[in-house]
Amino acid sequence: MRQSDSYIRIDNVSRRYGAVKALDSVTLDIAKEEFIAILGPSGSGKSTLLRLIAGLDRPTEGHISFEGKDVTGLPPHKRGIGMVFQEFLLFPHRTVRENLAFPLRMRREPQTVIDERLEWVAGVLSLTALLDRYPSQLSGGQQQRVALGRGLIARPTLLLLDEPLANLDRELRQEMEVEIRRYQKQLGIPFIYVTHNQEEALSMSDRIAVIHNGRLEALDVRQAIYDSPPTPFVARFVGKSTKFQGTVTPDGKTVRLARYDHEFPLPPQEKFQPGDALDVFVKNERFDLSPKSEGGSGIVCTVSDIVLRGPFLEYILETDRGDTVIVVKPKRNDPLPIQERVLLSWAPSDCHIFKAGS
Amino acid sequence: MPNVSLRQRLLLYVPSGFLLFFFVFPLIALVVLSFWQTENYKIVRELTLNNYVTLATEGAYITFFLRSLMMAVGVSVTLVVMAWPIAYFIVRYGGRYRIILSLLLVIPFLSGEVLRLIALQGMLGPAGLVNGMLVRMGAAPLRLIMYSNVASFIAFIYLYLPLVVTTVYLSLINFDFRLAHAANACGANRFRVFTEVVWPLNLSGTLVGFMLAFIPTLSASLVPRFLGGPNGTLYGMSMSQQFGESGTWALGAAMGVVLFLFSALALAILSFGVDLRRTGFTGMGRQ
Repeated sequence: MRQSDSYIRIDNVSRRYGAVKALDSVTLDIAKEEFIAILGPSGSGKSTLLRLIAGLDRPTEGHISFEGKDVTGLPPHKRGIGMVFQEFLLFPHRTVRENLAFPLRMRREPQTVIDERLEWVAGVLSLTALLDRYPSQLSGGQQQRVALGRGLIARPTLLLLDEPLANLDRELRQEMEVEIRRYQKQLGIPFIYVTHNQEEALSMSDRIAVIHNGRLEALDVRQAIYDSPPTPFVARFVGKSTKFQGTVTPDGKTVRLARYDHEFPLPPQEKFQPGDALDVFVKNERFDLSPKSEGGSGIVCTVSDIVLRGPFLEYILETDRGDTVIVVKPKRNDPLPIQERVLLSWAPSDCHIFKAGS
Repeated sequence: MPNVSLRQRLLLYVPSGFLLFFFVFPLIALVVLSFWQTENYKIVRELTLNNYVTLATEGAYITFFLRSLMMAVGVSVTLVVMAWPIAYFIVRYGGRYRIILSLLLVIPFLSGEVLRLIALQGMLGPAGLVNGMLVRMGAAPLRLIMYSNVASFIAFIYLYLPLVVTTVYLSLINFDFRLAHAANACGANRFRVFTEVVWPLNLSGTLVGFMLAFIPTLSASLVPRFLGGPNGTLYGMSMSQQFGESGTWALGAAMGVVLFLFSALALAILSFGVDLRRTGFTGMGRQ
């Protein structure tokens, strides 16, 4: 992305707690109208990054600017942000109406503006009937919508969302994913969405920043993060995949697996030397599966179980070495039977190859 | 009470019986006595309102009462103002020493009230530590703290500060400070974070601390007796004199009833005047 597109700029930001580097030289530019997910396992530093953007914490090094203005030293209430928390953190002593109006009151907006915005936000989030209730009288999903409304009502420069769906049940979560993305497109402000859930990151965001051990591991549009992960960590963390170990054959054109009698051509764009030890990642839905009786090449497995997941089937395979591999296929009426001997293989372009241990 | 076994009921009946026998019966006796008379150290069993008329008309009793009331309000308000920063500091910055720090507050209680008051006498009296030093340095002694209402005030603060700090501490330790972060992120500055979120959500705990200081101060007798001096008589002290030196038990009983009713009234005002939901009280524990 070009520098001129940058609306939120995170410039070489680090945060140390004593000797621990929670965040290490992260640089990130976020465009206006962009939905960006910050994805990482717990303890990766993603929440630290969010707290730094919000102003709830200060970086040890580096700068953060909004619309070209340096906000690094500003406290949260002077940054013009909205924030939605995982635990909702609604004010329990205030009604829904008062919770929603809180950011506007803090900005000393006149009552007419407050009423107008309340009507707008309650309408958009279907909260009109709940305005006089207290948070303890709301369901989890309703509390979530109030938290979202409170984050949006003051028309913030950006909205920070800290795992906002983690406390909701699965069905509601999927519904809210669609809703949140819709609001973001409507409002045209950046949403920065922190999550450890790669499905949420993939379903909602325009771009994904993967954080690992305090470092920015990858930053790209979601499709690219999914289809061509730049590092082994991203390959393992985004999407569900299986790892195999292998070696480049002496002619440099083929990868031979270490534990299995199977080899496949090394894709021409991959630059490895003969004898290199490799880690090969294959997404569970990219495997090819054929009955062993039909012949061909592949890893010999036995179908040990089949799990039905809506429109998909999950084949639980056991290799002759005792490893378990999960293969996802569209549902069909004549699935391979349990106990069937099968051959597991993949197209060379469908796997991600890295030097072992990298 | 369906499905409650006898053993479970005993858990309720035993303490209820205890309260009935040792609190409610004596209270009734006190109320009855307050409508009788005492003459020459003898009780005259004739119903009369004389005691209450005396209390409502005689200047001394009105002065004692107003002095007690002002003392109780002043002491309780001062205590809340003093206790908050202490409790806040322990909760926010006490770290793993929080429990030890809060237990330190209890240490003065190990010595007993009379002992603590005598120690205070030694501190504040004419030949006490403060004035003794002043006189030695050639300065005039501080009359303000010698056997005066100020001395009583200092004593009340000293006696009840640990109680109020502990109640505010218990309230703050259960407060979710992430709500303060949320308010901050919603545009509230430090002052408004306090007034809009931290204070109201700890108000019920603070009021408990306030009442724990207010009620005993209102009826206190030992503090004014040890430290109050000639113009420091408080209502509770006067009441205990009715039962002691003066032998006017019926009048003392009426004073007891007045104190009881007034404390109950103060409690009622606080509990009905405060909408518990506005203090985040849901009746369902912490969410």
